[in-house]
Amino acid sequence: MMRVKAILRNPPLLTFLLVALVWLVAGLSLRGFGAYGHLRYLLELAAVIGIAAAGQTLVVLMGGIDLSVGAVITVTAILLPLLSPAWDPTGLVGVALVLAIAIGIGLLNGAGATFLKVPPIIMTLAMATFLQGMLVLVAGGSAVTVQNPAVLLLGQSRPLGIPAGVVLWVLVSIGMLLLIHRMPIGARFLALGANPLAARLSGVSTTRNTLILYALSGFFAGLAGLLLLGMNRQGYVGIGDPYLLTSIAAVVLGGTSILGGRGTYAGTIPGAILLVTTTALITVVNASPGWRSIMFGTLILALLMISGREARR
Amino acid sequence: MIDMTDAGPLLEARRVFKGFFGNPVLKGVDIALRPGRVHAVLGENGAGKSTLINLLSGALAPDEGLIAIDGRPVSRLSPATARAAGIAVVQQELSLAGELSIAENIGLGAYPRRFGLIDYGALARGVREVCDLVGLTEPLDMPVADLALGRRQMVEIAKALFRKPRVLILDEPTSSLSAHEAGVLGRVIATLRDRGVAILYISHRLNEVQALCSHVTVLKDGGVTADRSLAGIDGEGLVRLMVGRETGELFPPRRQGQAGRMRLDVEGFSAGLVRHARLVGRAGEIVGLGGLVGQGQEDLLLGLYGAIPAKADRAEIDGRSGLPANVAAANAAGMVYVPADRKHEGLVLPHSMASNILLPSLGRLARGGLRDRRAEAGLVADLARQLMIKGDVARPVQALSGGNQQKVALAKWLPLDPGVLLLNDPTRGVDIETKREIYLMLRRFAAEGRLVILASSDTPELVNLCDRVLVLREGQVAAELSGPSITEAAIVGAAMGVEQGTGPGRRAVQ
Repeated sequence: MMRVKAILRNPPLLTFLLVALVWLVAGLSLRGFGAYGHLRYLLELAAVIGIAAAGQTLVVLMGGIDLSVGAVITVTAILLPLLSPAWDPTGLVGVALVLAIAIGIGLLNGAGATFLKVPPIIMTLAMATFLQGMLVLVAGGSAVTVQNPAVLLLGQSRPLGIPAGVVLWVLVSIGMLLLIHRMPIGARFLALGANPLAARLSGVSTTRNTLILYALSGFFAGLAGLLLLGMNRQGYVGIGDPYLLTSIAAVVLGGTSILGGRGTYAGTIPGAILLVTTTALITVVNASPGWRSIMFGTLILALLMISGREARR
Repeated sequence: MIDMTDAGPLLEARRVFKGFFGNPVLKGVDIALRPGRVHAVLGENGAGKSTLINLLSGALAPDEGLIAIDGRPVSRLSPATARAAGIAVVQQELSLAGELSIAENIGLGAYPRRFGLIDYGALARGVREVCDLVGLTEPLDMPVADLALGRRQMVEIAKALFRKPRVLILDEPTSSLSAHEAGVLGRVIATLRDRGVAILYISHRLNEVQALCSHVTVLKDGGVTADRSLAGIDGEGLVRLMVGRETGELFPPRRQGQAGRMRLDVEGFSAGLVRHARLVGRAGEIVGLGGLVGQGQEDLLLGLYGAIPAKADRAEIDGRSGLPANVAAANAAGMVYVPADRKHEGLVLPHSMASNILLPSLGRLARGGLRDRRAEAGLVADLARQLMIKGDVARPVQALSGGNQQKVALAKWLPLDPGVLLLNDPTRGVDIETKREIYLMLRRFAAEGRLVILASSDTPELVNLCDRVLVLREGQVAAELSGPSITEAAIVGAAMGVEQGTGPGRRAVQ
């Protein structure tokens, strides 16, 4: 009984168990679900969400929200083919350029939030709208095909049978867990999220940490955009849109408080896997796209009731 | 004037007790408000005045004792029944809705109705009447948010009058009023008194009390020390009634030491309310900041700490010139701050005791960019032992008692080895045992050569701990007391603007 209570009080663990349960039941009852290839494919999809949600986890921990995640993914996916110089055989120059742009967008978000005191929800939403408009002007609505070898390698290769995207996600996860739990800045983000005033009076700089935070969020969204582009081979306006809601949902499903100050990336990882699994199960059911969206929304709410419920404070 | 004071009391409290979390605030208080009498309640900060008002207006229920209206005990007085019985309160904190108009605010909760709809015509007529009484000439449909603070206070008073009260309770009504507005209010009060309204008047301004009131109840430490007519009593007499208590051995003995080198030297300092203050402090000193609540003590500390914009003609802090630009710079200069509101400003409540203690020193404990768990645990255990903080270091601090929370708020700064400690009411809401421990700690800090700046709403604390005391009034340093001249009477007198021992005939009373 004590153990059950401990599990119920540990959202990351609870979400992991939920994923395991869904996979077990689906694997036994649906033909093809439990195949190695299918599970690998699910993880590959979850990697994009998980990486995009890495930055979102940090932002939410500090009490903010980043609504520009989807737009930044689209920006990187469209700009990378345009910005990769032909003389670079590795493609790394293009990658670096695009990631720098993603970080720059994040810094602008942070600057608006900390210097202009624009609420993050407005600042990042305005940024997303601005970026979308600019993309239409730049790309003109046509899809761009990627030739960049580094990005194709990231999206297509499978060292030792494991997709490179999943390997990248593992690396991101290790970095994130270190940052939140083992680095001073993680503790500062949490303190600012739980009580900004007390944190500021304790010598924690709001300005500096907000800038770093949104820069990281931009960076991770850019990384997710590169991975998505490599998997898709094509970039188009709107490619990142689905990842806005899913990045937030993965964070909340993992038990991170949407009010800030409490949570961990260890919950976001199973949260991302749970989301793609849900989508896959709905696809199996033969229903029209409208019904699928309705089912997806309902299921997310139901899952939140089980694992990501906001504890009373 | 008809003398109605012999009539029975309209509202009274009989031997009421009230405590919060085991801290007694009122210990058997009696008060009787009679028709046609303006009754003053005096007492220092924390004497229990606000709690008494809350009991009389039904906002709180007494733990023991009873409230009687027209001589009949009321078993459970709620704010609604109090209003129905004609009891109106003008609170210190304004309770107006900024978006609503003057008329809507005044009528709020008592709108005249017609066929179930608000009768705006009748509302305007009633509101006009009370506004004329208090001298509000602004258009009635003006949003309250557009009014200056003093005018809003007049709206608040008009709102109380709109209900045609039999008992009117005024909690420091003139604190935000101009001299002219205060004069108008004085005439309103006299008119109401002559109509037979019972008035309870709380103010820190003794000249107002003497001009308006005929009876006084003095509260001290939750008890009544005087309940008498104001006839034949002067300002100093009132101050004496408010102070004068035995201090016991709560405070550690004073150490006669030599003050060391200059740690803080600020001239022409302005921040928030504070204007052109001069402040010096040497190593080994405890410098007190006294005065009524909200006279700039907090702004002074926050300005020095770099937490609010501040400027100074000249500033030198531990050998560095200039004020710190932000909190991090203040910390780097060896200056730390413990806020008065520990729950909102001092602590991250949902986080553990360990996280709270470590927050300011996360950077300096890290090795190679990663946190050193062992060093952190050692530091936390060490501080918890040193300060005798009871409780599990991994539990959220919100689970700790007020005293232990305050110790955590202090403990987190000690690893920085601060040269200047800025403390804002560090013993507010803390039990007596922890108070004693904190006092000992402050003495020890001073003995170690640090400078302690202690803002306190508790006058005995200033008298018994401080080497020097600056008394602030309306953002100015009204008096600087040192050594034997630090007395409760001197502090309270300076805080209220009563000249001590000057003027003809005063010296004899001392």
